[in-house]
Amino acid sequence: MFLIFKRLWQVNWAEQWQYRANLLMYLLYWLVSPIIYLAVWTSIAGVKGEVNGFTANDFVTYYMVLLICDQITSNIIIHTFAYKIQDGSLSGELVKPIHPMLTNALVNNIAFKMLTIMGLIPIWIILFFLFKPDFSGVTLSGVLLSIPAMVLGFVIGYLLSAAITSLAFWTTRVYSIHEFYFAIILLFSGQFVPLPLMPKVIQDIAQFLPFQLFMYYPIQLILGRLSAEQIIQGYIMAGVWLVISILFFNWVWREGVKRFSAVGA
Amino acid sequence: MSPTIHVQQLSKTYKVPEREGGFSAAVRGFFKRKYKEVKAVQRVDFKIEQGEIVGFLGPNGAGKTTTLKMLSGLLHPSNGNASVLGFTPWELKPDYLRSMTLVMGQRNRLSWDIPAADSFLLHQAIYRIPDNEYKQTYKELDELLELEPLMKKPVRNLSLGERMKCEIAAGLLHRPKVLFLDEPTIGLDITGQARIREFLREYNKRTGATILLTSHYMADVTALCERIIIIHHGQLKYDGGISDLSKKIAPFKLIGVMLAESNSHDLSKYGELVQNEEDWEKQYIQVKAEDVTRVTSRLLADLPIHDITIADPPIEDVIEQAFNS
Repeated sequence: MFLIFKRLWQVNWAEQWQYRANLLMYLLYWLVSPIIYLAVWTSIAGVKGEVNGFTANDFVTYYMVLLICDQITSNIIIHTFAYKIQDGSLSGELVKPIHPMLTNALVNNIAFKMLTIMGLIPIWIILFFLFKPDFSGVTLSGVLLSIPAMVLGFVIGYLLSAAITSLAFWTTRVYSIHEFYFAIILLFSGQFVPLPLMPKVIQDIAQFLPFQLFMYYPIQLILGRLSAEQIIQGYIMAGVWLVISILFFNWVWREGVKRFSAVGA
Repeated sequence: MSPTIHVQQLSKTYKVPEREGGFSAAVRGFFKRKYKEVKAVQRVDFKIEQGEIVGFLGPNGAGKTTTLKMLSGLLHPSNGNASVLGFTPWELKPDYLRSMTLVMGQRNRLSWDIPAADSFLLHQAIYRIPDNEYKQTYKELDELLELEPLMKKPVRNLSLGERMKCEIAAGLLHRPKVLFLDEPTIGLDITGQARIREFLREYNKRTGATILLTSHYMADVTALCERIIIIHHGQLKYDGGISDLSKKIAPFKLIGVMLAESNSHDLSKYGELVQNEEDWEKQYIQVKAEDVTRVTSRLLADLPIHDITIADPPIEDVIEQAFNS
């Protein structure tokens, strides 16, 4: 199994390099909205001194860390996989003795991620000198605690996106479904606004949803803003959602493959 | 011993959304979709024993590819059963997938952007092929298909024929026991086709693998298969020896005539004139097998013949005649 992943990595890494220009465009597109949120919130807080307890520096540090978490926990499987179901090119992968989504597509996503993170580094450094954030609240233990949280966030996010991508077995409109899903993430993950600034109802719901695991939870861990109780609660939610997402993905995939019509292939 | 491939009452019905053109139909279709049922394969039965090479024929849309897709596990049947090597294909068990291969046109086993060599190594890992076995198989494939010069180029820069060679090779690296080949020689030149055929025959002899193949090139089928299965409109029409079929339904021969002077003589009084698009120099007439000697000697006596050939009609035509009558 190790050899499979090693070879998959070699192939996918080489492939991603072929598309490096494309990738850079994608990265820039990706960065636009968090950087806008960063600029807008910082200037609002700058004028008013603070927004609900969030100072300008809180916003800067929040969004600067968000840029990293977002890269680590997000995935692009809808773009790299749904079309294979629709145009039938999945056939070639389905007859191979490895799971198409949990091996090749997964490694492909990680290779993509590695390259975008390499692209993000210089941009992040520029932003650092522009906004001069004060990261004094960050501790080593916070950073260490956030690593498994981000890995869990990525795995859960990947499985949920993979399940939604698998809806392509049923409908050709899977991209609009995914857009809707993306809007929900935007709202409940803490990307649009840090969750404490959201109405109480949304905060209460967000606590029980998996989306805060993609951004809000690891960001707060890194910034050292969570109590021990909140940290434990977050990890328990992550465990629960890991199980749910595994079951959900397995079910959608299994039922979907039964409906696969291998068109055109 | 139970047969390698056992198909019982296998059926596949596709539900195809149907919509008329126009705005109001589009709106109605949004709320209530109409579906048409297409019976692609209907209650097909056959058995194939280990080591057989069977040609799977039928006109376009007859259900050949659908059947191959079910046998390789890509499609779930609507009804009926199939077992291959004791597995139910559509359960997609890794052990099953490791012991069979499906080669469809030039469908991508190979990654487009990287050299085939890298995809081959990935296949080695995926199919858990030990190093020495991999090297041995690769050497054999290289001898027959001359792969080496193609290995280092990105697949996207290969010609259609070159890509096909690499696809077939990739599909055989793990030495499958069962081969499903859908148009394995499509896009290849005559030498390339002959090479692949030669290779498949050799592979079958050496490994005892079972092969089920479809092809548009009748030469593939006549060269490789002793047995053929014909389906038409999703139903099994024939299952038996290739020579029996020709005898049974087409006791005809084709006489090709090239005249020494011009083609102004009317040959229709000797037999039915038929078109042959591959050979413009000759005129072809179709006569009953028992009349061949008589007609040939008359032709030779009557006309200034430069060249004359007698052959069986192409199987494509044989099938066409058999099932349109």
